[in-house]
Amino acid sequence: MIAESTTPEALLDETAQRVSEIIIDELKLDDVTPSTFDADLDLIDELGIDSMDLTAVVLVLQDEYEITIYEEDYPELKTVRSIASYVLKRRTA
Amino acid sequence: MTHHRPPDTTVSKRNSRLKAATPDKEFMITVSSLLDEAWYQRYQHISQLNIRSSIYDVTTKCNLRCTGCFFFSSGEHLVAEEEPDPAAWEAFVDREKERGVNLAILVGGEPTLHLERVDAFYQRIPTYCATNGLIRVPRDRFPDMMVGISLWGDSETEKRLRGKDVFTRSLANYRDDPYTYFLFTITPQQLGKIEPIIQRIGDAGLKVHMQLLSNDEDAPGFGWTDELLVQVRGEMDDMLDRYPEVVISSHYYHEVLTTGKMLGRTFGWSECPSVTEGLDTRDPRPKRLIRFNRWAADLKSKHRCCTSATRDCSTCKDGAAHMSWIMVNKRAHIRSTKDLQNWIEVYEMFAKLYQFLPW
Repeated sequence: MIAESTTPEALLDETAQRVSEIIIDELKLDDVTPSTFDADLDLIDELGIDSMDLTAVVLVLQDEYEITIYEEDYPELKTVRSIASYVLKRRTA
Repeated sequence: MTHHRPPDTTVSKRNSRLKAATPDKEFMITVSSLLDEAWYQRYQHISQLNIRSSIYDVTTKCNLRCTGCFFFSSGEHLVAEEEPDPAAWEAFVDREKERGVNLAILVGGEPTLHLERVDAFYQRIPTYCATNGLIRVPRDRFPDMMVGISLWGDSETEKRLRGKDVFTRSLANYRDDPYTYFLFTITPQQLGKIEPIIQRIGDAGLKVHMQLLSNDEDAPGFGWTDELLVQVRGEMDDMLDRYPEVVISSHYYHEVLTTGKMLGRTFGWSECPSVTEGLDTRDPRPKRLIRFNRWAADLKSKHRCCTSATRDCSTCKDGAAHMSWIMVNKRAHIRSTKDLQNWIEVYEMFAKLYQFLPW
């Protein structure tokens, strides 16, 4: 969950860390840890994540952050950092 | 602190994002870390394609009745009445386009019996037309539509299974056509006789892709055994090596199709990617073709999958299902350079067969 008293940068890093954990857990990535997951790595081109994978991750994110993620927004969700940024944007929307 | 892989001549060092972690998780495997520049370019090219296919029964009728054709043997021609109104076909294809389909695979029956329905697709979506080749698609009306001609063997076999020498007729109809290939369904009866067929196709200026017969009708002498599958894989590999300008295929596809194995997994109902989306009740759901449907000719009913619903999936040898199985499992192939190269080659093969890449 999101801590209340923190800087925007720290909040983004913290959310990105949690997004990494969710991706690793949902997609059973066994060659990476949250601390080694490059937040700017292109998940589709470099890890081969497809729309089914993304849907699995999105379901967890929606539950955990109590937000709605629209399918037409999937193209925005290209990296861990962009997902974290999107989640924070939806939280404040 | 950034660590790199140990020196390896097969692996690019372009990926500067590899980071240190625990000893057993020191390197994150990415596409960049596995491919050199040339392979990476090929990967990037196909990654842009984002192909979303569906299959459409254009008609329930055919001008042949072939032994081994699942459409008739499993009663799929009786599932639905044909939609007769051309305007209904056009409206249907518009809806399919809106649904995200960007590749229409037309099957039958024999689609060329209803060219107005073929045209409804061709005017709207990239279209592939499967045919037995007896009727030549008029190229003034469909100048660049990809045509796949079904082929069951040499002239003698064609007469036996299809009632006439369809091969000779279709070769003549489509000679030197740049948008046509033969889809050669190899049967055990063809072992040792494949090369002359490949040569005839090459001599006619055409291409060929190979798959294997699934013996739905239990025709005597047409069942596969492990030994025969080893033998046919060898012949398919040999044809690809010796006629690379004619044969559109890949060694990895041959391996997966003949063994039914991919990365230690076994093909079957729990793995097949070509199940109609709305009828797919599998749990857990495997990797599958997104938005894939197989529509009956009434434009309302749907078939279970890309082939016969009565088929035993564990013995299914459908070529498209197997290549799709590989393609939807991209992430599983991002584990070694060779695995990923295999995946790229199969994807390129598919893209060529459906005209997303030139021959």
